[in-house]
Amino acid sequence: MDKQLDLLQGTLDMLILKAVSLGPLHGYGILLRIQQISQDRLEIQQGSLYPALYRLEHQGWIASEWGESENKRKAKYYTLTVAGKRRLQAETENWNSMADVIAGILGTKSEEV
Amino acid sequence: MTLWSRLRTWSQAILQRSRMESEMDSELRFHIEARAEHLMRGGMPREEAMRRARVEFGGVERVKEEGREARGVSFLDELLQDLRYGQRVLRKSPGFAVVAVLTLALGIGATTAIFSVVNAVLLRPLAIRDSSRVVPLQEQWRGSGVDVSVGNFNDIKTQSSSYTEISCSHDASFNLQTQDIPERVDGAIVTFNYFATFGVPPIAGRVFTPEEDTPGHAPVVVLGERFWRTILHADPAIIGKPIRINGLPTVVVGVMPKSFDPLLSNSNIWIPAAFTPAQLAEHDDHYLDVMARLKPGIAMAQAQSELEIIALRLQKQYPLDDADRSFRLQALASALLGDQRLSLRLMLAAVGFLLLIACANIANLQLARSRTRQKEIALRAALGASPNRIVRQLLVENIVLGLAGGGVGVLLAYWAVSWIVAHGPAEMPRLDQSRIDASTLAFACGVALLSSFLFGLAPALRSASTRLNEVFKSASSIVGGNRDRVRSLLVVAEVALALMLLVGAGLLIRSALLVSHVDPGFDTSNVVVGRIGLPDSGYHDPAVARQTFERMITAASALPGVSSAAVVSRAPLAGGGSSNGLLAEGRALDLANLVNSQLQIISPSYLSTARVPLKAGRDFTPQDTRERTFVAIINETLARTMWPGENAIGKRFACCESGPKGRYDPVWHEVVGVAADIRAQGLDREAQPAFYIPIAQMPPASWDWIGRTMDLVVRTRGSEVPLRELQSTVASIAPEVPIYRLSSMKQKISSTLERSHFDTYLLAIFAGTALLLSSVGIYGVLSYIVAQRTRDIGIRMALGASQGQIVWGVLGFAVRLAGIGLTVGIAGALLGTRLLSSLLYGVRSTDAITFAAASLLLLLVALIAGYLPARRATRVDPIVALRYE
Repeated sequence: MDKQLDLLQGTLDMLILKAVSLGPLHGYGILLRIQQISQDRLEIQQGSLYPALYRLEHQGWIASEWGESENKRKAKYYTLTVAGKRRLQAETENWNSMADVIAGILGTKSEEV
Repeated sequence: MTLWSRLRTWSQAILQRSRMESEMDSELRFHIEARAEHLMRGGMPREEAMRRARVEFGGVERVKEEGREARGVSFLDELLQDLRYGQRVLRKSPGFAVVAVLTLALGIGATTAIFSVVNAVLLRPLAIRDSSRVVPLQEQWRGSGVDVSVGNFNDIKTQSSSYTEISCSHDASFNLQTQDIPERVDGAIVTFNYFATFGVPPIAGRVFTPEEDTPGHAPVVVLGERFWRTILHADPAIIGKPIRINGLPTVVVGVMPKSFDPLLSNSNIWIPAAFTPAQLAEHDDHYLDVMARLKPGIAMAQAQSELEIIALRLQKQYPLDDADRSFRLQALASALLGDQRLSLRLMLAAVGFLLLIACANIANLQLARSRTRQKEIALRAALGASPNRIVRQLLVENIVLGLAGGGVGVLLAYWAVSWIVAHGPAEMPRLDQSRIDASTLAFACGVALLSSFLFGLAPALRSASTRLNEVFKSASSIVGGNRDRVRSLLVVAEVALALMLLVGAGLLIRSALLVSHVDPGFDTSNVVVGRIGLPDSGYHDPAVARQTFERMITAASALPGVSSAAVVSRAPLAGGGSSNGLLAEGRALDLANLVNSQLQIISPSYLSTARVPLKAGRDFTPQDTRERTFVAIINETLARTMWPGENAIGKRFACCESGPKGRYDPVWHEVVGVAADIRAQGLDREAQPAFYIPIAQMPPASWDWIGRTMDLVVRTRGSEVPLRELQSTVASIAPEVPIYRLSSMKQKISSTLERSHFDTYLLAIFAGTALLLSSVGIYGVLSYIVAQRTRDIGIRMALGASQGQIVWGVLGFAVRLAGIGLTVGIAGALLGTRLLSSLLYGVRSTDAITFAAASLLLLLVALIAGYLPARRATRVDPIVALRYE
């Protein structure tokens, strides 16, 4: 297994939005989904997930509802709201252009300056 | 973030706190259990899996706390904590809490009470549509605003184009016969468009038509709702019915709502003016209140410049009447309430000072406490409370105090407002509408919060900036030099404010005392006065009117206990009256030579009945009739003004009517007597030029000037006042004619003083409270300083200082503080009391005696307040003091 990466500051929100954009999930499910997509290369502090969830919910980007889990237990499921969808799109674009810029800077060779 | 979601989570936070908590609990539990199950599926034993899951998750409490914060719940949470904490702290020091709450309640209560009066009298909108467009119009004559003549009104009406409506009115009262006893009702005579000018429709019927406002039309009346409800018992079928007014059946055409009182004169009925052509041409008799509604888009300044053009035209057209006259528009509110503003603002300033003193006192108490609480606060800081949190906590504690004080203050205000409404001057319009309502409550709440910040912020900031190590390390007597200065400054400010209030109250009290000792110029004891107005119908003939009054005089004189009776067109202190321009014989007929003088038409027995001393010449006799030489008695002021340094007896002046050859044909009156000056306009008003002419010689037209209304003046032998007998005597001679405003002269005098006494009384109460509060402040600071310097005092005593020296040391400090405060206060008072000058009689606003007395009183109070702590200082045992701390 590859070495796990520490999450960049501020990216957890984006990952959560992405995870719930694929379908309703409870907190633990979000954690699993992120780890699954990243092929276990990201280290997420489990406790830090919930304050982030509450913050996103308070901001109106995700909504929550109580439902039943795979093994018939009561669990709180999060879904992406319309505002959240817009937010995710904006963040994705932002991230991509930022990544391009950074990659461009880091890839610069001395003769190109 | 949307406002909505924020509100939703906040409201959830407040309403469903426990549900949110338990949901968070079960959500986190679900996570840990799901994780454990996940691990168990990998073959881990259950116990081990649960342990691993918890470790991986981290601190549950920390997550919950962060979760609450993320939801925006924590601020409220902390606020609630602070509130609980503040309440606990206050409950632990009940002495402080009670003193602080009571002090604050005094300040807030007084401020709220006065505010509710100001709100009712000045701030509440007038019941008029679009009142900013309604402008009163006055004549300007020799620098003062006077009423408008009918002729001028009519000319302005026809020549101006700035107004949608221009109407006029004058106050009048009417004899009304609904039951057995005739009554007198206050009302107004108005042009038909009067109601339209104010834009207020009737609640029943209609207002006057232009035809009803023409001479000769059958009498009609519009009633006020209050009158309709009380006197006519809200008769639903009143419209179209006649009621008897001034002896004539008068048809009711409409009823105006209770709130319709545009000139704040308590009018109950309105009668059309129906000016005759002769009246419309009359430019010399100025008695109309004119109200105009500006056309949309016309500014007051535009209308004013149009008036100036009209004034120039009228000055040329009527040089004798209008030469010195111009016209002025005013804002409605200032015209109606201008008189009330000064004294109400004064009261508001006074209670504001009181509130500031209260706040300074509490700030001082808090500063003293913050010292003893330093360790508690340092401990909280050491345990991790941020400076922000500490300031917030202390502020919240102060807000708890502020709101408690505000609550008690509102109770005080409630009581105070009902007292003010019951005892306030009757002439203050809308005073009876003062009450504690939503706006006053909001005001009280605002004042409470504002004052919590005022007295709480300084101590709180000071506490928060305290360095931890200093508190734990240093001996307390070294810290706090700076704090003493703040506390001293607060006391200086209190003394200064209290002095300003004391000086203000002192000036008013001195003025009231001087007024009460003024000699009115005649004998006011055992005199009863009542007014009688004869209606036009039945008494139109001047001879009939005069004979009716003469019969009343004869009948009243014959009543048991009555020594004499007389009539006068306007008794002293009855207000109003008419004045005429007098031209001394030998002077050119020019406006500048006219002496304006109050006219009194009297029966021959008047001067002897009222006991107005005759200084020279003779009194009138029944033989002074129109067939004989026209005579007059003038007062000393008029004699001095018209014939300075000469004997006035035998001199002649022209006035009041013109001879057969027209307006410029003078009718001469010979001065036969000079009477003493009397203070007819009020005890605090200097006597004005006045002259008397006998009832049997009065110009026939003057019956209309005085509205056939005379004051019956009766001198009794003892204290027994035959009011009932007077009523039935008048009714027996003139049925349907009431005698009204019937009271003794003493009562009339005290009611004219009511207003100034009320101001004086209130200000004295405020000043007394301020004195009390500032003495508490001085006492508090000195006690604190003595306690703090126990060690120094101990050392000085150990080194041989006598008790006297110690006492003087402490008192000296008190005197120094008071002295600085007094200096500042005197400077402030010198600036502030100038506003009072129009309310003062016989005292200048810089009266040295008042200033000295107020300063001495404050100094004395400061010494007394300082003496107790000083005594305590002398009882310091040097040994104990040196061991102190």
